[in-house]
Amino acid sequence: MKLSSHRLKIATARIDYDRPLSISFDGKSFPAFAGDTLASALLASGTRMLARSFKYGRPRGIIGAGPEEPNALVQLEQGPQTVPNLKATQVEVYSGLTARRTTGWPSLGVDAKSLGGRFSRFMPAGFYYKTFKYPAALWPRYEHIIRHAAGYGSAPVENDPDIYDHMHHHVQVLVVGGGASGLVAALTAGQAGLRVLLLDEQNELGGWLLSQPNANIGGKTAPAWLKAAIDELKSLPNVRILTRTSAFALHDMNMIQAAQSLQDNLPLAHRSTDQPRQRLHRIRADRVILASGAIERPLVYGNNDLPGIFTASAMTTYLNRYGVACGHNVLLLTSNDHVYQGAIDMARAGIKVTLADTRADINATWEQRAAAAGIALYKGYGIAQAHGGRSVHSAQLAKLDARDNRVTGSGPLISCDAIGSSGGLSPTVHLFCHDGGRPHWDEALLAYVAPALGREKAGIYVVGAACGEFGLASSLQQSRGVSNKAVASLGKAEVATALDFGSDEPAVTPARRIFRVPDGKKEGYGAKAFVDYQNDVAVTDIQLAVRENYKSIEHIKRYTALGFGTDQGKLSNVNGFAIAADALGQHISEVGTTTYRPAYSPVTFGTLAGAHEGDTFEPKRYTAMHASHVARGALFEPVGQWLRPWYFPKAREDMHAAVRRECLATRRSVGMMDASTLGKIDIRGKDVREFLNRVYANAWTNLAPGKCRYGLMLDENGMVFDDGVTSCISDNHFVMTTTTGGAARVMTWLEKWHQTEWPDLDVYLTSVTDHWATAAVVGPNSRKVLQKVCSDIDLSSDAFKFMDWRAGTVAGVPARVFRISFSGELAFEVNVDATHGHHVWEALMEAGREFDITPYGTETMHVLRAEKGFIIVGQDTDGSMTPFDLDMGWAVGMKKPYSFIGKRSFKRSDTARSDRKQLVGLLTDDPAEVLREGAQIIEQADFKPPAKMLGHVTSSYHSPELGRSIAMAVVRDGIARKSPDGQKAGRDIVYAWAGGRAVRAKIVPYVFVDPKGERQNV
Amino acid sequence: MSKSLMQSPLHHFDLAKQAVKPDGRHGVWAGELPLAGYIALRGDSATPAFVEAASSALGVPLPVTPCTLAQSGAVKVAWISPDEWLVVCPREKLGATIAALERALEGIRSQVVDNSGGYTQVLLTGANASDVLAHCTVYDIAHLDPGKVVGTTFGKSATLLHRQDRGFCLIFRRSFADYLWRFMVRAATPYGFGVALREDASAAERETA
Repeated sequence: MKLSSHRLKIATARIDYDRPLSISFDGKSFPAFAGDTLASALLASGTRMLARSFKYGRPRGIIGAGPEEPNALVQLEQGPQTVPNLKATQVEVYSGLTARRTTGWPSLGVDAKSLGGRFSRFMPAGFYYKTFKYPAALWPRYEHIIRHAAGYGSAPVENDPDIYDHMHHHVQVLVVGGGASGLVAALTAGQAGLRVLLLDEQNELGGWLLSQPNANIGGKTAPAWLKAAIDELKSLPNVRILTRTSAFALHDMNMIQAAQSLQDNLPLAHRSTDQPRQRLHRIRADRVILASGAIERPLVYGNNDLPGIFTASAMTTYLNRYGVACGHNVLLLTSNDHVYQGAIDMARAGIKVTLADTRADINATWEQRAAAAGIALYKGYGIAQAHGGRSVHSAQLAKLDARDNRVTGSGPLISCDAIGSSGGLSPTVHLFCHDGGRPHWDEALLAYVAPALGREKAGIYVVGAACGEFGLASSLQQSRGVSNKAVASLGKAEVATALDFGSDEPAVTPARRIFRVPDGKKEGYGAKAFVDYQNDVAVTDIQLAVRENYKSIEHIKRYTALGFGTDQGKLSNVNGFAIAADALGQHISEVGTTTYRPAYSPVTFGTLAGAHEGDTFEPKRYTAMHASHVARGALFEPVGQWLRPWYFPKAREDMHAAVRRECLATRRSVGMMDASTLGKIDIRGKDVREFLNRVYANAWTNLAPGKCRYGLMLDENGMVFDDGVTSCISDNHFVMTTTTGGAARVMTWLEKWHQTEWPDLDVYLTSVTDHWATAAVVGPNSRKVLQKVCSDIDLSSDAFKFMDWRAGTVAGVPARVFRISFSGELAFEVNVDATHGHHVWEALMEAGREFDITPYGTETMHVLRAEKGFIIVGQDTDGSMTPFDLDMGWAVGMKKPYSFIGKRSFKRSDTARSDRKQLVGLLTDDPAEVLREGAQIIEQADFKPPAKMLGHVTSSYHSPELGRSIAMAVVRDGIARKSPDGQKAGRDIVYAWAGGRAVRAKIVPYVFVDPKGERQNV
Repeated sequence: MSKSLMQSPLHHFDLAKQAVKPDGRHGVWAGELPLAGYIALRGDSATPAFVEAASSALGVPLPVTPCTLAQSGAVKVAWISPDEWLVVCPREKLGATIAALERALEGIRSQVVDNSGGYTQVLLTGANASDVLAHCTVYDIAHLDPGKVVGTTFGKSATLLHRQDRGFCLIFRRSFADYLWRFMVRAATPYGFGVALREDASAAERETA
């Protein structure tokens, strides 16, 4: 088969020449081979420009070969499966892949912003802050246009059809990075018998060795050594290897998060809907060995952003790993030795190579090897400026001073179709720094490095290029040594290895300290030289930021946008720090780095969500009677995590109609509510009464077995935080109920007080919330209903009084029946083992059929209780209400011998004053007017803001029983205002303000129905 | 009380209908164990009189070593905290077990509470059972030795977890049962998930072992 224009046959390439496939980019079809990335496939067809820059709309092409890529952001696939802003350098190709560019508006050829680019001198750093500041009112219009112009890809608008999951790991040694030094680390720990996990973000292990097959280790070629090392690793059962897995965050206690791509490399049609697309690994590791390698940074020179300009290492990778020639006539620029092997590989593959080394003195071995390969070498030259439009076509060299970074003479104009540069290696220190580590500047290496043992105490080790070991043999030896330290720290002995780390690398000649290559012109007068491609940050922007007095690198970053974006400055940061240092007149080590934060590279929301979506997003708690409610058409509302029936609409009923029907049925005949969700705590021990005396505001000493009592629970400040009915089972055995939402909080609160303050009290507490299912049978006919299914309890009014409880049998199963009421009606709460809950509910429904028993939900419950003025903690209270504010002094036992929680706070001046916000009833003049909950209580209907706010409406309903609206509210000094004196003075009139309207209302007692409480005693 | 009146918290999934005969295509099996008696027992493990009385009433030495499980015949006692245990017994023996405990602990600082309506158990078996747990819980399954019981996370909920036969037993609360089952099925599906026949719960694991 005929190869495309830039595809070469390279024997050691990692693509499969026998598996050609076809992909589509921007609507055009491209050939590719299995093993290609989208970037390598596009380059193989000679693609140059595939993006427009962020700010100036300049033509841009692929620069890198991995996660460092700033320009080639693509939108992959369409519809629900579309993924925005992927780096083409990281997208593995598959048959039928479809992608498109994310920039260039209206088209790649004609970009509106490129017109702006001609005026780029008017778009300096801080351009937006400076330009769109005035007039402020126009910002929304500016923003609309800016957002349109600034975007990259688009987020999918349809539901994600893929599934994702999370997985937890616990290992002794986690190795991040499967390059040469990571493999040695994993082998060292694995052979010592430790539980090892090795992660690598690429599709196969090997790291830089995959790009450098002509290196040799211990007399073997790189591919042969790699195969031996990987085979050995795979033979160890205690070593687990995950590829396509990017460790993107390192957290406290060595918890590492890694995102694994499981199906993204498969054709869409071959992806299994049963299998996750991506997986989040959460790894807890005793020791972490970071073998994260280094990324080559480019040199900064005029027009260094033209399509066809790469990092030198990316060109080497494309050649050796993917069989792609980035150009046929290549110019390389370097400050160091790293480019030489790649240059020689290119020349040997038939590419014309010119190499400009900024150093006057270079390594003799490399010079000789380069000459032998036919490379034209310019020593002591830099690139002053590249030339081209949508592709580079030539570059002007300039002679550099041997010591100072200045131009001493002109050089030749070199025609070329691609340029690669190397400004040295920047170690990938990100994970080392995520939870507080800092890299240090190594002046000899010209790099911020993570010291190998800098975080040994935390169990974090660094090996290979990440800690500045840039040589192959030396990094392998260093990895072996440091890994053995990690092994020893876990109490394991070193195991001898057959691995030989020798290599034929020439000795290293020091690199030139150069970041910005001079062009002989004053900065700002020559061609634009870019530091950060993704954010269009040029050298001049950083210098301007410094001139405008930004001195911290963190501020310079934010003013210029240096290092932001999906590449997070992997190519640009160190150059930016160095250029800022020059402008500040400081050494780069004084400037420091910006903060490395997770994520190292972008992670999909799906991966972060995992299984926490859809019907497993949050736990939903169900009662034993849930199916009964569903069968009767209930709509549900979440209360805490519980799903409670809200109301039970019949055909064509809205909520208002359903609630009215449920309310009236309950008050006139009988209704039934599922009260299973209330918190229930079994309390037992000799000191239960004393314990209750201390945690409740009222007294419990004399409550007899068989009796129930309502209690208010206060916090230390005397504020109501829960309420409920507690029943005496026997002298040393009580059962407490709590609010539905407060159950866990109350349980924790009680345990805390018992365990920390009163361990001497003989009580034990156990939550029995889930054990008991509770059906509240409510209404004047409730006794008749219960009588039909309960023969062993005397339910008569004299034998079984209000606030009594009895044990017996209901519908054939053991039950505790409590005669308590949250509606003011005759009512019985039937508690049974929840396994019987469904049976008992249905039996009661059947027994109540002749009375038209009506199931009701929380909405009707709210109306019934509000008609009676029963509070809901958390609705009528907000953590600032005392029992006295609620006008519930009757529920406070001030004479108890031992204090209770909150009592002392009643004496505080603020708690004791008489004009606090207090709970009252409100009646509107118009009985049809239902006040809005949350409406502000104010004194006058017509006022000039700001009005004095007296309180707010806490509960407000239409009362079917009264045929009018009712409301509860907290009002400053409300109790006095509703008194006969208050009425006489007209102080009982207030206004409730909501939605721009004030409604007149009268302050009244909050018990609206049956104020004497006669109905519950029948 | 007749058993037919009783419903497990997983009743609505109708697991019996979903259950399939074990075969090689499934990496994970799960089934709900029969309704059992669950008793919360509280007392001080440092008080010999309590430990002795409880042990003799249960017929199992009360496990006082943290995170251990004691088992004798059909009775299982899980350590929850230094002053709390969960006793799991056959439902038929619930009344007798509670009565025996209350009798033995008369006069000793303690609490015995019937919590039988509040729990259920699921047995997870198959070659990938521990993989499924690695998706659902942060606990290091490799350290869950036989005889150990831990309370740990399960998705955003919680469970007790111990090895049982060749699989794992999960003991969790009724109201969270729907969530736990759904979360577990979701994690298990990629490995090939089958609902185990109730009487075949252990047969399935023999098959895949």
